[in-house]
Amino acid sequence: MEKHPLTGWHGTLLHVDLSAGKSRAEILHRDLLLSYLGGRGLGVRLCREEHTLDPFHPDMPLIFAVGPLCGTPSPTAARLSAVSRSPLTGTIYDCSAGGRFAHRLKAAGFDALRIVGRSSRPVAIAVTPGGAEILPADALWGKAVGETVRMLESRGSVAAIGPAGENGVLFASILMGEGNAIGRGGLGAVMGGKNLKAIVVNGDRTTGIADRSRFDRARNDVMRLFRASPILFGELGIGEYGTPALVDLMRQRRMAPTENFRKTVFEASGNYSGPAIRKAYGAKKDGCYGCPIQCKKSGRDGMHLPEYETVSHFGALNGIDDLHAIVRSNRLCNELGMDTISAAATLAAWGEGRGRFPGAEEVETLLADIGFRRGDGDLLAQGSRRVTEALGIPALSMTVKSLELPAYDPRGAYGMALAYCTSNRGGCHLRAYPISHEILRKPVATDRFSFSGKARIIKIAEDSNAAVDSLVACKFSFFGATLEEYAELLAAVTGERYGPQSLKEIGERIYLTERYYNCANGFDAKDDRLPGRFFAEPGSGGEGIEVPPIDEKRFEEELQKYYRIRGLTPQGTFPDPDYLSRLP
Amino acid sequence: MKDQIVKYAGKLLVDRSALPGNVAFAAHDDTLLSDGNPRLGRLCERILSSLSCLGLVAARPSLPFADYLVRRAKAGETRIVPQDTETRTFLHDIPFLRREELGEDASGRISSLLGNRKGMIAEGVGIVAGGTVTIEQAYINYSSVFHAVFVKYLLDLLADGFRLPGEREAFESFRREWLKPLSAEGLAFRSGPLEEPEEIFKEVAAVGRYPVERGLVDSFFGNISCRAGGVIYISQTAASLDELPGRIDPVRTDNSSTTGITASSELLAHRRIYEESGARTILHGHPKFAVVMSMLCEEKGCPVKDCWRDCDKVRLLGDTPVVAGEIGAGGLAKRVPPVIASPRKAVVYGHGVFTVGRTDFAEAFQAMVDVENWCRQEYFRRLSAKIAG
Repeated sequence: MEKHPLTGWHGTLLHVDLSAGKSRAEILHRDLLLSYLGGRGLGVRLCREEHTLDPFHPDMPLIFAVGPLCGTPSPTAARLSAVSRSPLTGTIYDCSAGGRFAHRLKAAGFDALRIVGRSSRPVAIAVTPGGAEILPADALWGKAVGETVRMLESRGSVAAIGPAGENGVLFASILMGEGNAIGRGGLGAVMGGKNLKAIVVNGDRTTGIADRSRFDRARNDVMRLFRASPILFGELGIGEYGTPALVDLMRQRRMAPTENFRKTVFEASGNYSGPAIRKAYGAKKDGCYGCPIQCKKSGRDGMHLPEYETVSHFGALNGIDDLHAIVRSNRLCNELGMDTISAAATLAAWGEGRGRFPGAEEVETLLADIGFRRGDGDLLAQGSRRVTEALGIPALSMTVKSLELPAYDPRGAYGMALAYCTSNRGGCHLRAYPISHEILRKPVATDRFSFSGKARIIKIAEDSNAAVDSLVACKFSFFGATLEEYAELLAAVTGERYGPQSLKEIGERIYLTERYYNCANGFDAKDDRLPGRFFAEPGSGGEGIEVPPIDEKRFEEELQKYYRIRGLTPQGTFPDPDYLSRLP
Repeated sequence: MKDQIVKYAGKLLVDRSALPGNVAFAAHDDTLLSDGNPRLGRLCERILSSLSCLGLVAARPSLPFADYLVRRAKAGETRIVPQDTETRTFLHDIPFLRREELGEDASGRISSLLGNRKGMIAEGVGIVAGGTVTIEQAYINYSSVFHAVFVKYLLDLLADGFRLPGEREAFESFRREWLKPLSAEGLAFRSGPLEEPEEIFKEVAAVGRYPVERGLVDSFFGNISCRAGGVIYISQTAASLDELPGRIDPVRTDNSSTTGITASSELLAHRRIYEESGARTILHGHPKFAVVMSMLCEEKGCPVKDCWRDCDKVRLLGDTPVVAGEIGAGGLAKRVPPVIASPRKAVVYGHGVFTVGRTDFAEAFQAMVDVENWCRQEYFRRLSAKIAG
């Protein structure tokens, strides 16, 4: 098969079959790359033949895909997406992460790494420009993430699972050596199910840029917008304080999920705010490789400090006001290889069910029990929905499509309420990210207590973000820049014609492909549902802000409007069963 | 959605950036709707139906400058590139279609341009601008294009004079009829120093409206603050000056809370101005003649190319210092504070005016009026000299 000349992409995929113990490089068709870009889009497309397989079926692929901007100095673009079917949600699932691993995978000369099969014994994969080497990993099995990384990092950048992934915790994550996480959806369990402990990548290939002066202009435009954004580079922004800069804002907006979403204000949240973390740990700038924002923060000893979602869920959601305990919980999750949001939210639902939220000390014991699936941890390892169903209290699971909701109460932002439900991977804030306009006023503000126009806004944002996840760029970039500037970067790198409108059309293709896969696995309108609590109980009003229950009738109207805008049936399914076959 | 269309169509008329009867908006929710001038409305619907965008505005500007810039552009050019901050930061450039390119149905070609840019000019039709998220965003993008076109046209006139039939007459009409005298006369200001939060919230919201009502600035472009008791009360990012109630962030000067993450991108500049000048109030807007005049530099042989960012000189417009510096964390916050304390006013290259008040907003507002009036007079003096010469 002849390889077409491309700039920005290598045009090559590395396929590894762990059952056979073999690997091979495959050519990626030019049309496929132009139509799906990379990252999430490419990964999702590459699952087309297997999308109905069980997540733990050996033939279900686990894909790591970079994008055309990776390997260039495009701001925030040293990222990848991991894609497979989630054992937690049953949906197609992608998760984006930044760091050197993505950069080095691209430098190894591959746009994607597709792993299928199941090894009979623990292994690691070493990827270089020469291809893949499958290494025995019996000595690594059972080890925490940090130690695993240290044992492999001399060979390159490492992505590894911890005991949680080995033991099939349904919200197990994959951690990168520099602390970046493929956090949500349990892809760590998929990796563990393949007996794959770690991947280490290295290489020296470069990524070309078709038009350097055009690229430099576009990059300057992006950086100018970053500097103009108070959210990114402002003195109170995430560049200074990390995402915990949102703690005080969510408290003020009265939408910080508290005690398993029974309340929306936690009076002690100031204990783990951005300024409190800086004071207690001397938080300094850290972040993804090549990223100018540096929103991650680390302490004086280099320890990675928790993100907003983590401090809020190990804090307010479980009623814990001890910052040091929260930091320890974060560290434990990272060592065990578990998603902090799902872990904390599962504990909160379980805690409410038994009438007592776990205290700071108990949380640490329970997290270890989850990671090793012992005692109560064996049940808790299955995530909030399965735990509450097993205990006969399903109404206490604050999930959508079995994915635990993050730290933005939907009663405080109605676009967020809708977007949790329409997200193809379940209750996730990042698919449409309406917090950007409903709370952070970017690109312009919308009324957070209104559904007016939200169906269209969510649809457009889902498409835009699907494209962003396929470039792959960080969504935080879009607190400053827009698709206009990133399309210009893409056009400059690849020499192809791209604009914001064409990127949104690519994003729509990706979104609908995901939705189609989900429908094929039985998902429909019945799954696009918020927990009943949000329609029945108010949040914590006060200080001039009322947080009433969401009007269920109005929510349903907007959801139906969303289906019409998407061209779906009232059941949220596809009127044309052959839709997928017409896509490239 | 209709209420939003009515609101922003009204704002285009109040700020006199569009001709009455020549405005239309379209919105795309689950259905497509439009309101306003029927011909423009149909055009808006056709354009919007092929864009992934919620709102769109098409309006004939109240001034003919956009059409003149298109006609003055060289054959083969397809876009204008104003050098003001608004364009450099957000618009990048403004594509246009000439009258002969429009044909029977221009919607396809306009859609194609708007698929890549926030706004464009269709000669003889007007400015067309999209809003991905809201109707307001379409209005803002229209205003940005109108502002950028105004600034570029006036600068081009100073450089090249009148070149088209009827251009001089139209410009005289603009000067005589469109421009209104600027003054602070009749406006009410609370006497300072202002100390109580409720009093400050009310005064900031009230004074925010004044520059817009007096035609000094367009509503979206600017910010305002007041300092009292270790707190800076500042307008939020992406807040219109004439709609500030509920959109003012109290920001503690000791940074013990990050609630102010939604504050104006110029928070750092405000903080440093307070530290350097001891002022109690700050007003910032983008009066057009001040923006135009700030971009005129008579220095010969200067090696600096990106003047708006890299020029380290302090020039003067009358007795008002002019400095360079990009918005947000880009340099303006370093260069304005050192020069503003004594004159209590400063202009940022291609961007706008900062003024301060020692006790309340009366002094800051008067200073902004004075700067813009001086720049207006100086502009016309120079233009007359150019034409006479």
